[in-house]
Amino acid sequence: MTDAVAMTNERNQMFSDLFSGKTPKRVPVSNPATQDFAIQYAGLDLAECQWDLTKLEPVYDKFCQDFFTDTYPGGSIRLPSHYQILGSTPIVMSSSGFMQHPDVVGMLAEEYDEFIASPYDCIVETILPRLFTELNGAPGKVAMALAKAMRAQSDDLAYLGTIRAKMNAKYGFATMSAALTEAPFDFMADFLRSFKGISGDVRRHPDKIAAACEAVLPLMIKKGTLPNPSMLGYTFIPLHMAPYLRDKDFLTLYWPTFKKMVETLAGMGQTVQLFVEQDWMRYIDYLYELPENTIMRFEYGDAKVVKEKLGKKHIISGFYPVTLLQTGTKQQCVDKAKELLDILAPGGRYWWQADKSIINLEANGPVVENLRAVLEYVHENGAY
Amino acid sequence: MIDLKVLTQAVGDLDEQVILSLINEFVASNPSGEDAQMVVQACQQGMAIVGDLFEKNVYYVGDLIFAGDLLTQAINAIKPVLGGVGSQKVGSIVIGTVQGDLHDIGKNIFSSMAEAAGFEVYDLGIDVSPSAFVEKVKEVKPQIIGMSGVLTLAIDSMKKTVNALNEAGLRDSVKVIIGGNPVNEDACKQIGADSFTTNAAEGLKTCQGWVS
Repeated sequence: MTDAVAMTNERNQMFSDLFSGKTPKRVPVSNPATQDFAIQYAGLDLAECQWDLTKLEPVYDKFCQDFFTDTYPGGSIRLPSHYQILGSTPIVMSSSGFMQHPDVVGMLAEEYDEFIASPYDCIVETILPRLFTELNGAPGKVAMALAKAMRAQSDDLAYLGTIRAKMNAKYGFATMSAALTEAPFDFMADFLRSFKGISGDVRRHPDKIAAACEAVLPLMIKKGTLPNPSMLGYTFIPLHMAPYLRDKDFLTLYWPTFKKMVETLAGMGQTVQLFVEQDWMRYIDYLYELPENTIMRFEYGDAKVVKEKLGKKHIISGFYPVTLLQTGTKQQCVDKAKELLDILAPGGRYWWQADKSIINLEANGPVVENLRAVLEYVHENGAY
Repeated sequence: MIDLKVLTQAVGDLDEQVILSLINEFVASNPSGEDAQMVVQACQQGMAIVGDLFEKNVYYVGDLIFAGDLLTQAINAIKPVLGGVGSQKVGSIVIGTVQGDLHDIGKNIFSSMAEAAGFEVYDLGIDVSPSAFVEKVKEVKPQIIGMSGVLTLAIDSMKKTVNALNEAGLRDSVKVIIGGNPVNEDACKQIGADSFTTNAAEGLKTCQGWVS
């Protein structure tokens, strides 16, 4: 037990160093596989386990034991119970049991003015009842649905929190907290206007998008604020829409409020971790403008160029292609890890994470063995 | 008479107001079905410009989605005057987002571009099981199957679908193209697809090459 505490302290120190721009003892490693993967790895049914969380403790125990990682491999999890109780349309379970986000419309184009005047009121009164069927009806019923859902969610989170605490105590992971938020433009696209809707709005009424992003910015900052900004942890911001926009639309509609958000969060003393989804290479000079020590986990792009341009100011992560674990040999997978380590580790400011999460486990496929080999390789060869 | 070149250019420019005013004026002039067919073709040629600009990184995915929306509006406006005049299809494609995946944006972009290019497109929707692909292939005997997905689990589902086509003895009768965020050359080989793409315009060219 004391060993685990010592390991937690050591790992917390590594991340404290990393997040403050100092070179840590070695390259920190996070297992990119998620709870979904862990359930399948334990040979259990994905949908069933997400409904019955009591099955998960042995699942996590095996998962934590068999795959090296410095951080608890819980990932961000969408639990089905409260979504189901609310009649959710933006987050639903597919036939494979994986919870995901279809393209939905929460706000109509003609409702921009209402939203801009008061985003919070518009969300509560107009948008939530549209996105969640059980929040659309008589006030008494809505109140009951909301109460049930919040209770279910808080019970689920408490249960998962207990498992997490046990695993941290047993395996000595770093104890970091995280908050989640979105760039204002992404929030407008993902939950309010849909990918299709916002793509039309960019052409038809760009001024309204810009005003809506400004209006919703305070809510997005609040959502991304940690309980105590000085604690070890970060605000996680998955970035979505920028690669699908023209440069001029990015510059006028996406960037201004996103930049303000990151600067505000950093100004409060918190670390920000961006998941730089898709390919942002044409925006790399903009990314450079973001505050020092912002963590950027990249999906695609040129790791060398990113290290050269951003690597002295920001913390670089990602790039490791998880599809290689599905299609490559063990040697190819390890070689790729070496290649990225050689490019990104020198001088510090590197956190080993993959380009995407691993959510699926094909029976008899090579992923388990390949993933284990890569995590071990980086652990053993990442010392400074 | 409508200036077809101006219409084609307006579609290429994604100029909604010009497109709709040209088409509304045209429809109000009580045209023949043959003339209406030429207007549809002019719109399709405009979509080819959109595809080219996308490949040249002038347009991006958001612009393609908007283009699909404009084309749908335009065709719906022309439909009443098209009469019974049908266009010759260049080929047929069965398309769907594979099992376990609910993402349909990329699939819809490809679908609208393929339709604009004259393909008959049978869209099976999202979370499509291998057996649903097999049944549709038996029913409509397409030249091409397009499988789409965003999640990494899509790779495994694509492989299962190709296996199911093999087991049904249908694999050799069709070309298979896969598309979406996680696909690449290695995945394509492992799945046993004929081609892969992360770019709808490029994927369409591959399909056009197969049926020409």
